[in-house]
Amino acid sequence: MDLKVIDHATCTFCGCVCDDIQLHADDTRIHKAKGACVLGKAWFLNHTTERHYPAALIDGKEATVEEAIQVAADLLYEADMPLVYGMSNTTCEAQRECVAMADLLGGLLDSHTSL
Amino acid sequence: MVLVDIRETKSVKAADVFLQVRPGKDFELITILRAMIKDQPISDAQVAETGVSIEALQDLVARMKAAKFGAMFFGMGLSMTRGKHMNSAALLTLAAEMNAFTKFVAMPMRGHGNVTGADVIMRWQTGYPFGISFNRGYPRYNPGEFSTVDVLVRGDTDCVFVIGADPGATMPQPAIDHLARVPTIVLDPHVTHTSRLAKVHITTAPAGISAPGTAYRMDEIPMPLRPALESSYPTDEEVTRRIKEAIQTKPDWMVEGPQRLETQV
Repeated sequence: MDLKVIDHATCTFCGCVCDDIQLHADDTRIHKAKGACVLGKAWFLNHTTERHYPAALIDGKEATVEEAIQVAADLLYEADMPLVYGMSNTTCEAQRECVAMADLLGGLLDSHTSL
Repeated sequence: MVLVDIRETKSVKAADVFLQVRPGKDFELITILRAMIKDQPISDAQVAETGVSIEALQDLVARMKAAKFGAMFFGMGLSMTRGKHMNSAALLTLAAEMNAFTKFVAMPMRGHGNVTGADVIMRWQTGYPFGISFNRGYPRYNPGEFSTVDVLVRGDTDCVFVIGADPGATMPQPAIDHLARVPTIVLDPHVTHTSRLAKVHITTAPAGISAPGTAYRMDEIPMPLRPALESSYPTDEEVTRRIKEAIQTKPDWMVEGPQRLETQV
């Protein structure tokens, strides 16, 4: 079977963010990560497109993404001092949305950097 | 490569020189180095306190000044022990002062994927890199007051939105206890420790594997992500934007509404 080859793939496992990885992938998983270190290989090869987790959980019960978004919005809006935290293992585009949301809420905003 | 640590780690093998500093004496060691590069007087007692010999320090200063381009990397051993951000500030000052002699930089070692990007994006959008409060309607910065562990341990927050992090696995127990007490919302590709004590968990596509976007390298170079797989889960960006849009449909939390400039000055 022919594998799709992705050149210059970027690894986001650690802060080095290597961008010289060659990935060999089919539709469900990555089979080879050329140029990646031990940590990077584990990062790329352990992810698949299989659905291991439900779309969303509310109080530990399965729910739709739309329901979860509504509950999340209500909880954050009703809170006196909401906190937006993390933003490490995500994209800059998502981080920008996080900043906008914390601003809108009048809440707190913080990342792993403060640890 | 000169390695400074309180104990012999695996990195010693890769180092040319290893200096074993006494635990909690980083600030003192850096301050002595700052004095030594400028030939200011230091006492034997001050040097003895650090656990490093004066000969080793003199050798280090000579190496630093002889370098064409020196780089200092520092980690949480410096920033999370006694002195905390004062230690980091001292090291950054040393790097700045070294530029009177040769080119020198200092850079924090980052553990997680795009934590540098978080710094950059927050700086771009608010002027501050982390530990921010918007509760007066404009951004304020005060680590120790607005930093997450402190906020959680004091119980100063009543709802937490967690994205791309698992504080339930890594934070001190009193902080985790508060996370469990208040409603928590988690966005993550996996059901994490934090998800298990959360009110809401939403599964998202992992960044760089099946979610596109940008990530910053440790030295603040932005890198495009090239995802190899498609995901049936939505991206962090999409879910966060939809939560933000759902909040935007509600009346503004400030009684007088948000402050806006009427005319462009």
